[in-house]
Amino acid sequence: MEQSERLELFEKIRARYSVFLTSVLWKLAGDKELFTEAMQYALLGIWQHIEKLKGEKAGAYVYRIALTSNSRAWRNRIGRNGHISTAGAGAENAPDEELGRSELAALIRREISKLPLKQGRAIVMRYMEQQGYQTIAESLRCTKAGARSHVSRALATLKNKLAVLA
Amino acid sequence: MNDEKLEQILKSIGTEDIPTEVHEIAQETSNNFSRSLRQSRQASKPPLLEHIMRSRTIKLAVAAVIIIAVFVGLPFLPDKTVSVALSEVLARVEKAPAFMYKMKMKVSGSMVPGAPAVNQDVQGTIIISNDCGIKMEMDMTDPNTGIKMTQQIYLVPDEKAMFTVMPEQKRYMRVEFTDDLLERAKKQNNDPREMIKQMMACEYTELSRSVVEGVEVEGFQTTDPKMVAGIGQDIKCTLWVDAKTWLPVLAEMDMTMGEQMRMKGTIYDFEWDVPVVAEDFVPVIPEDFEPLPTDGMKVPEITEEAAIEGLKTFADLTGRYPKKANMMDLMQEITSVMTDKMMKDKNQDMTQTERVTEMMKTISPVQSIALLHMTLVQDQKEPAYYGETVEPGDVEAVLLRWKINDSEYRVIFGDLSALDVTAEELRELEGSLP
Repeated sequence: MEQSERLELFEKIRARYSVFLTSVLWKLAGDKELFTEAMQYALLGIWQHIEKLKGEKAGAYVYRIALTSNSRAWRNRIGRNGHISTAGAGAENAPDEELGRSELAALIRREISKLPLKQGRAIVMRYMEQQGYQTIAESLRCTKAGARSHVSRALATLKNKLAVLA
Repeated sequence: MNDEKLEQILKSIGTEDIPTEVHEIAQETSNNFSRSLRQSRQASKPPLLEHIMRSRTIKLAVAAVIIIAVFVGLPFLPDKTVSVALSEVLARVEKAPAFMYKMKMKVSGSMVPGAPAVNQDVQGTIIISNDCGIKMEMDMTDPNTGIKMTQQIYLVPDEKAMFTVMPEQKRYMRVEFTDDLLERAKKQNNDPREMIKQMMACEYTELSRSVVEGVEVEGFQTTDPKMVAGIGQDIKCTLWVDAKTWLPVLAEMDMTMGEQMRMKGTIYDFEWDVPVVAEDFVPVIPEDFEPLPTDGMKVPEITEEAAIEGLKTFADLTGRYPKKANMMDLMQEITSVMTDKMMKDKNQDMTQTERVTEMMKTISPVQSIALLHMTLVQDQKEPAYYGETVEPGDVEAVLLRWKINDSEYRVIFGDLSALDVTAEELRELEGSLP
């Protein structure tokens, strides 16, 4: 594909998925620094895979790129001790009664970034985008029962991880 | 945690409103990326360099390297006969055992070719104590995200180290100094006393009386390149001192660094004889703070051996020598080389920490080349560097040379062997350079 074509396509994809990327990445990141980094990874991913984004499957690819980018941005927070700092991840400036929830939300976001791709996508579609199981199933190319299974397995994984951390 | 609570939190995350500021950040990030694609169109190279350089961790690490360079890099200049006026200013200032002042600095331009231009505003308060050390509190604003970042920098003489603490990021960094470099850093870092000494050793003019913030002042100004030899050029430095007390009131500095960066700063709000206690100069690092990948880094040595090691590292990596030996150009070149290497190695799955660590392992020895060159420039030892034309392995080509006495020069050759040669032999050797 010619460079000019690639650029033109990139601009179209950027315009089309800008709101989607902002919404999903913000909800998954929860703080500005992480969000900016994830957004940059997502744009880079779109540019690197622009040839694949011509057809009908563009939406699915962008979804995958968004989740991978979020995981990568989170991974970059890992320190030498293998722990991820939750500093700035939505817990700052919270009133005392909200602190627990904010910290939990940050932990949940962090663990979502580590979920297998399909489980991550299922949980994001279900809870971040409030999609029905039918839509999730179509997107994941599985049955409605399969979509439910992905969501519940993701929830179970999150619950286990949070129990260990608690 | 039960399922219900987990789902409740997930739903609440999903229904949270997106702040207007986030939309703005998204738009700006997206527009910047798109612009960089168009700018790199002819190169048809993915803007990974831009992407990497926007990374907070990389920026912090690279900034750390630059800070170290500035810490140890300001020139020591020989004394020379000066006017009574500027000597008087120095004498007054040196009487103060501890003093503080504020600084504002603007750094603009690209540190690495192809990387986005920075437009960084830095503000800080600095306390200098002859007995306890130096403490700097710096506030910086990231132009991309609008996020403010605070850095507390401590120079702790007893530990021969500089600590940088970043409270918002919960990060810190410790850089060790050798004895020589510690002395250099203590004396040089943004210390107005050293600025006066440097100005005294340069060509400068006395300005006519003026008024700064209601104070009648005398001015001294220099544009002598020696003022920032080895680290910058196109310097203009002006010092305003109180006409009654002869103590500094305001200092202004404007210079370029490398081909693409400009630094403009002012030092003001001086307070002399401030009371200090030793505890103020002890770095406070909470337990949950994590070290930056550059933590524990030692400031590269300024020796011939270290410079040869740096040249070898660069040649092993690229098959050639760095084109220039001054700090900014060398930093730009090695950063660019490392970025290209990472792209070729397809190491894009590395974490930022791994990426920075790998980058710093290479950058650190290479810095010794620039540090040695900078010292030679400042010591007026007539260094000459021929990295653009000399190839690794060339046993007869002069790669770097400097004067060791009136009749002899030290020469590092293309095969990285080193010899003392006479001035005549040097002329012959340099005459045969391509």
